[in-house]
Amino acid sequence: MGIIKKLPYYSEKIPGGGIIATRLEAILNFAQAKSLWYLLFGTACCAIELMCTGASRYDFDRLGMIFRASPRQADLIIAAGTITKKMAPRLRRLYDQMAEPRYVLAMGGCTIKGGPFYYDSYSVEKGIDHIIPVDIYVPGCPPRPESLMEGCLHLQEKIKKQKLSDWQGK
Amino acid sequence: MTKDELKNYIDTHYQEKMKFLDTGRFDLMYEVTKENLLEISKALRDDENLKFDFLCCLSGSDTREHFEVIYSIASVTKRLRLDFKIVFPYDQAEIDSVQDIWPAANWYERETWELFGIQIKNHGNLKRFLLPDEWDQGYPMRKDWDAPDFVRMPEL
Repeated sequence: MGIIKKLPYYSEKIPGGGIIATRLEAILNFAQAKSLWYLLFGTACCAIELMCTGASRYDFDRLGMIFRASPRQADLIIAAGTITKKMAPRLRRLYDQMAEPRYVLAMGGCTIKGGPFYYDSYSVEKGIDHIIPVDIYVPGCPPRPESLMEGCLHLQEKIKKQKLSDWQGK
Repeated sequence: MTKDELKNYIDTHYQEKMKFLDTGRFDLMYEVTKENLLEISKALRDDENLKFDFLCCLSGSDTREHFEVIYSIASVTKRLRLDFKIVFPYDQAEIDSVQDIWPAANWYERETWELFGIQIKNHGNLKRFLLPDEWDQGYPMRKDWDAPDFVRMPEL
């Protein structure tokens, strides 16, 4: 990433070099947005909807979303399901193992604010934004595949707007 | 043996040690004192006509007045089910382990100890296993339990 970050600095010096920087930004963002590989992290019933979205009827692949079983190959972590206080350090650890740039999608009510376990629960973490930074929230209990895909499209829009300087990470 | 026959059998053979309670919805419910727990459990398992050889569930309960520990047992060979519970006040929260009679009680008793703070005598492996390892906020299934991020359901 070092070369890409410094590229605007050098290209600005040659005539018309600004075009290179902006075009390159668009190309890199396009590539990033259209191949978001997500980490399999299903902890509850949202995982069923996630599986359904990945299967042939809804076909997540056409958005460039391919599931990965290793955090080192993943760009996106879809937190699908209730995160308990015991699970929270594991989620944090998986997030830390992912390579930059990385994104987080909080799927379902449990990951947003505890969901149905907000009241009278001693074990559920009330929102994963206490643990890791979240880019997109998809509400629902569980959200339908259409909602999840809508959330992913919003995430793609967000990625397409980022600057070269954002590439270093958040 | 049907449910009524089982009730008659228990009433005739264990009448002085098991008190019938009319609270069981599907299975018979009895109350046993803490002192008789081991004796009754062993008798029910070894009885030739009952053979309660299977512990389905062991659960704690906090009724805001006292603790209860409920044992659900079944007989695989005789196709019977039975529940019995022991009742004791908060300040005497200590019961005997039934592991020697039903080894399946091991994890249930650990859970009961961890969530209710009911001490289990002669358990041998009373370690934390459901709550997080660094947990230091007491026994969360007690009715009077509270924590900084615990939100109680508002009264409607």
